[in-house]
Amino acid sequence: MTISLAGVRATLWRSALFAGLWWALTNGRADSWGVGGVSILAAAILSLRLLPPVPTTISRIGLLRFLGFFFIQSLRGGAQVAWFALRPRMGLRPGIQEIPLRLPEGIGRVLLTNTQSLLPGTLSVELRGNRLCLHVLDIEAPTEAGVRHAETRVAHMLGLQLEQP
Amino acid sequence: MTMTEIASFILLLTGAVFFFAGTVGLLRFPDVYTRLHALAKADNLGLGFIVLGLLLQTSSPATALKLILIWLLALAASATVGFLIARRARQNGIVPWQSGDRP
Amino acid sequence: MSNLTLILSVFLLANLLVALLRVARGPTPADRLLAALLFGTTGVAILLLLAFATASAALLDAALVFALLAAISGAAFAQRAWREEQAEAMHDDD
Repeated sequence: MTISLAGVRATLWRSALFAGLWWALTNGRADSWGVGGVSILAAAILSLRLLPPVPTTISRIGLLRFLGFFFIQSLRGGAQVAWFALRPRMGLRPGIQEIPLRLPEGIGRVLLTNTQSLLPGTLSVELRGNRLCLHVLDIEAPTEAGVRHAETRVAHMLGLQLEQP
Repeated sequence: MTMTEIASFILLLTGAVFFFAGTVGLLRFPDVYTRLHALAKADNLGLGFIVLGLLLQTSSPATALKLILIWLLALAASATVGFLIARRARQNGIVPWQSGDRP
Repeated sequence: MSNLTLILSVFLLANLLVALLRVARGPTPADRLLAALLFGTTGVAILLLLAFATASAALLDAALVFALLAAISGAAFAQRAWREEQAEAMHDDD
């Protein structure tokens, strides 16, 4: 019973999302909704096939805090790498670091791996099991503290429990 | 020029500076991993500022939404493609440059 | 205002050209794959600026397609096309 309810909810949310997309793509033209309706329906069905609804609870405050964290950190990351590139002596001390993740397997780890590449000084190179392999611009920078912080934000947003590494 | 135009001007210019820094990084950095840092971070920030600057120039909400959509797509694309290139480079045995090596 | 966006788009085009020349030189196949990232960011930015400079909304759609294609082609290249082309340096770094 609860599963079908979740399915209906997911279908409605996704259809609304695709409708918003269609509206943006067509600049809100009224005469395009005939084709649009069919496309939205097809997209919703396809998305349910490819990514079946999973019972995740995205916390709204968690989402906002993650976005804030992400934008500020990616601003820092871009500024840092620009500074490295533009200053006369670059002073790069790059290296590889492996960090055991506390996030459970699944979407959380994937999201973390993807965001790490845009955060200051780190570039994801490999994710094998719970071990995230990073290329860092400065081997002596506190990389692990940064990853732990990002993990906390991701876990809070997706309502996940952090495990002991 | 109005205040909005000046703000838009500054944002677009900031974006161009980050793109420039990304290109300089691409030219100066010693190996593919460090170059990926430059492209993934600096260029994405540059695109972010360009999108913000252009958002101030449009009055159509659909266009604004489309701009944000393009930006999000580019963000996801850079992060994913950057990861795939770095992973494949390491699997194929491209050794990361270390300070002390010749560039 | 549209003058400025036009100038900036030319500036970014010069950036893209220089970057592409560097990327074409390699030396590794991984370096050449960076072109996918360049089109996904710099290419998209140029199209967006041109769309506003020349008031042609169609260029926005072109930028959207560029962003999509950059993601797909980059992923496809990294996953498949490059498999045969093993890197010249086969050192084991573990």
